[in-house]
Amino acid sequence: MKNRIKELRIKLGITQEELAQQAGVRRETIVFLEQGKYNPSLMLAHNVARALKTKIDELFIF
Amino acid sequence: MTLKQFKILKLSVVFILAMIVGQAIVYHNYIISVVAMALAIMVIFYFRGRVKEVIADERDYEVGGRAAILTIQVFSWLTVILLFSLLVYYEANPVPEIMTAVMVLAYSACALMVIYTLFFRYYNKIAFLEKKFFYLVAGFLILLFVAVLGLRLISGEDNWVCDGGRWISHGHPDFPAPSAECKK
Repeated sequence: MKNRIKELRIKLGITQEELAQQAGVRRETIVFLEQGKYNPSLMLAHNVARALKTKIDELFIF
Repeated sequence: MTLKQFKILKLSVVFILAMIVGQAIVYHNYIISVVAMALAIMVIFYFRGRVKEVIADERDYEVGGRAAILTIQVFSWLTVILLFSLLVYYEANPVPEIMTAVMVLAYSACALMVIYTLFFRYYNKIAFLEKKFFYLVAGFLILLFVAVLGLRLISGEDNWVCDGGRWISHGHPDFPAPSAECKK
């Protein structure tokens, strides 16, 4: 699934490691998410959206 | 403790365990290997709890699930192919060791599938049931298992019976007749 995770993360100036810590996952998962190679659970999508100070429907392109 | 430190520690524990088990097998002291394995598991679990970072997340579990299913399928098919190949070979060369290998393969494949089915059913249905109900069913199954095992052991089936001064097999005992004198 396409998303704006990388764009928003860079905008906020946080690293993949920091985002992973805030979302409660490993850094590799953030890499896969940014590349659109992994579809997260609703909970993870919510955690990532909260860490990036946005909403799920603004983060993921459905 | 960091994840990297934990990984190094885990690798070291596995390395030491492999050495201990290897030596224990060489010296035919199997208790040491069992104790070492139990200790290694305890050490790994203890330090795992001290890691502050995320060790595994939902993607790891998803990947692990897919890998597990594929492993079971590959293992089962390879076992079946090998099993029948051995059976064909056994027809030509009836060596008892081949039949033992066939049995080990057959039982291990069955055990793997049964364990997988049990866990699948647990996570698919039982995990969402009331805990009280789960404990009740688990308790009942354990009691049933103990009762069947107990009856099997107490009943004296598949044993040697002393009758008229001779040891007579009762059922199909898989061990030789007692060397003690039969006086009945």
